[in-house]
Amino acid sequence: MTMLESSREEPKTGVAPFPGYEVGSQFYDEMFEPDGTPRTACRQLGETLRGLGAEDLTKLQESVYRRFLHEGITFTVLGGDEVTERIIPLDFVPRLMTGAEWDRIRQGLEQRLVALNLFLKDVYHEGRSLRDGIVPADLVLGSPQYRMEMRGVDVPHDVYVAVCGMDIIRTHDGVAVLEDNLQVPSGVSYMLGCRDAVKGAFPDLYRTHRVREVSGYSERLYATLSSLAPSTRTPRVAILTPGLYNSAYYEHALLAGEMGADLVEGQDLMFHDGALFARTTKGLERIDVLYRRLDDDFLDPVTFRPDSFLGAAGMFHAYRAGNLVLANAPGTGVADDKALYAYVPRIIRYFLGEDPILDNVETHLCREPEGLAHTLDRLEELVVKEVGGAGGYGMLVGPHASEAERAEYADRIRADPSNFISQPTLDLSRAPCYVDGRIEPRHVDLRPFVLQGRDGPTVVPGGLCRVALRRGSLVVNSSQGGGCKDLWVVDGHGEDPA
Amino acid sequence: MLARVAASFYWLGRYLERTRHTIRLVRYPLDRLVDRTGSEIAIAWEVVHRTLGQALPEPSENGDEADAYLLMDAYTLAGSLIEEASNPDSILSCWSVARENARQVRSHLPLAVWTCLNQGYLWIREIDLPSVWTAGPAAFVGEASDRLRLLAGMMDAIMYRDDGWRFMVLGRFVERVQHQAAFLSAWIALGQRARGSATLPWADLLRICGAYEVFGRRYSMEVRQEQVLAFLVQDPELPRSLRFAVQHIEEMLAGIDPAGARYPLAPAHRMALRLASALEVETLDGARGGSPLRFFHTVGSECRKLHDVTVASYLDHTRVGGTET
Repeated sequence: MTMLESSREEPKTGVAPFPGYEVGSQFYDEMFEPDGTPRTACRQLGETLRGLGAEDLTKLQESVYRRFLHEGITFTVLGGDEVTERIIPLDFVPRLMTGAEWDRIRQGLEQRLVALNLFLKDVYHEGRSLRDGIVPADLVLGSPQYRMEMRGVDVPHDVYVAVCGMDIIRTHDGVAVLEDNLQVPSGVSYMLGCRDAVKGAFPDLYRTHRVREVSGYSERLYATLSSLAPSTRTPRVAILTPGLYNSAYYEHALLAGEMGADLVEGQDLMFHDGALFARTTKGLERIDVLYRRLDDDFLDPVTFRPDSFLGAAGMFHAYRAGNLVLANAPGTGVADDKALYAYVPRIIRYFLGEDPILDNVETHLCREPEGLAHTLDRLEELVVKEVGGAGGYGMLVGPHASEAERAEYADRIRADPSNFISQPTLDLSRAPCYVDGRIEPRHVDLRPFVLQGRDGPTVVPGGLCRVALRRGSLVVNSSQGGGCKDLWVVDGHGEDPA
Repeated sequence: MLARVAASFYWLGRYLERTRHTIRLVRYPLDRLVDRTGSEIAIAWEVVHRTLGQALPEPSENGDEADAYLLMDAYTLAGSLIEEASNPDSILSCWSVARENARQVRSHLPLAVWTCLNQGYLWIREIDLPSVWTAGPAAFVGEASDRLRLLAGMMDAIMYRDDGWRFMVLGRFVERVQHQAAFLSAWIALGQRARGSATLPWADLLRICGAYEVFGRRYSMEVRQEQVLAFLVQDPELPRSLRFAVQHIEEMLAGIDPAGARYPLAPAHRMALRLASALEVETLDGARGGSPLRFFHTVGSECRKLHDVTVASYLDHTRVGGTET
């Protein structure tokens, strides 16, 4: 796939569907054609929005905001001694996608996860793909995310990654995967919360568009996790949270509640007789599957970081002994390294013998001389990222950076080239959003959540649609001023099924 | 149930009850502001602070504690107990801690219960004392009280009766016994000292405990000290009586640990039964020290021991399961 860059031909402008709303050929608009007419699946929604006055729009926005506020759908922000609970900015205008388009994306996501699980098994066992030169061995074995402790460990049903949240983007050239997020992806609670709130704001549109349901996510997650359990009896599933002050605590609690699983902290756990137990009011009770929402480093102070108080001593022993399932397995981070990302299409071809259904974004590895030269020569056009970075931190958006910032970043790249990759500045698609009393276009991406259990992969039809709420911004991360909106995968176009 | 989760339920129950108590107590002097003298209002504030075990305002050199309350304005005193975050007994603080405990057990709470509790917290967090005062403090206290009743009703109607529920109710009644014993103690001690117009009518005590009307039906409209105390301590049907509370403690402990309710009794259960028997058969000025003050002191202290044993047996997650961490 090739990315749109700033050299694209002169953009054309269409007729504004809302006052001041810019359409045209520069960015792909999720709701409108370049001439300003709504896409087929979005006609009803476009008409409904056009029929709403400023007061109606504000009321709708307030109603969804109030719902998040009252239900405490928040994330925690730590700043010095202060702990603040914040509500993620939620936009009430749903993004629509046709069922046919989604089905292709779903297949692509499932294909990708299956291949990555095979790759993880390989790098922790035979290392065939490394010997065959599919992926440079030093890239894998030298990664800080490669866990030597996992070498030779047989993982239940070879599922290393049971839960992942792949970030996909759309440009004029189509849909592509931007990141794989194979360790502890978060945001699914916002997908569920957005759906409840937005469905309530547009009940008629929801019905007539025959929107595919996402409410079964927790059931599928439970089925996925329990399918990995070692014994045939009903397994005891728990979610391991770092605690109340973790930014995703709300999500941990929501999933535990919906699955009927225990929400445990490290202090609730105890290693005994080769297995992991929870301290309950009636004594120790064994845990079979632990969906850990904690980085590898903190899982077990005996095996990983000795100063961790968030995990439980001995947990990894229970895992190695086959008496506990950890989802995701330790060491999966090696496959979502931003440098390894560039090799995923090759991994898919190698392990599955198929062409990738979803493209990658063009990526240049600074560890390679050509990639380094390309990156340094065109820094003002590129986005440069640290290979282990996340959350939008530590990256350089070339076109938006000052000369001094670019020079400073170039020095960092030269000092440690293997720590950086570069990608073109993507013309992310835009979708209509409520901003300051009116509808304006904002850049969006999408994080669907892909599960893989004993019986294969599955994806609920939806995802966390992230929005860069600042005008012109391409950064959608909530930690950087991003918000979210609901994604409707629709099988109808607004006609009444009756 | 995880011991840590059980502990959060227990403290949720305690802090919701503590919030309720503070609201009930603050209401008393605020109601008196309308038509009572300064000394009558002052002694009411003194009851509040003594019950909560809070430091009293400094009296002047020649004055006594009541004079100190006369010098403090009601606005400051009420503000400290309503919205002062640094005061652990303020309504805001208690509600906040209750909510923090509820967050810990969010996955066990029905969404409607959590939302109701959270809405109450968001409401009280935005409270602005000057506007409360403009609208009339009684209106604020009334709304806070209504919100808590709504929450309690919702919990009662929809919460599943599992161990989480039992620990929450256990916490509620342990808090009630301790608080009620301190409150009755403060009332008696200050009543004995009261003089002139600054008395503490026994009918007021019944009203604060929500027992005035039922007392009239049960006894008569002639309110006598011995009957009031006996009613508030020993009546098994009165929700604010000590006996009623201890009965529920015993019932919850029996549900939490059915094996512990049989011989040999679990330590916490044994203590609850002993306390229940004492409240049933002993008279206030009888076996335990010969005075109501002594009696309430003993009840409070036994209830604290029961709390300690409960925590050690069921809630201290660093110990449950054998090894201390």
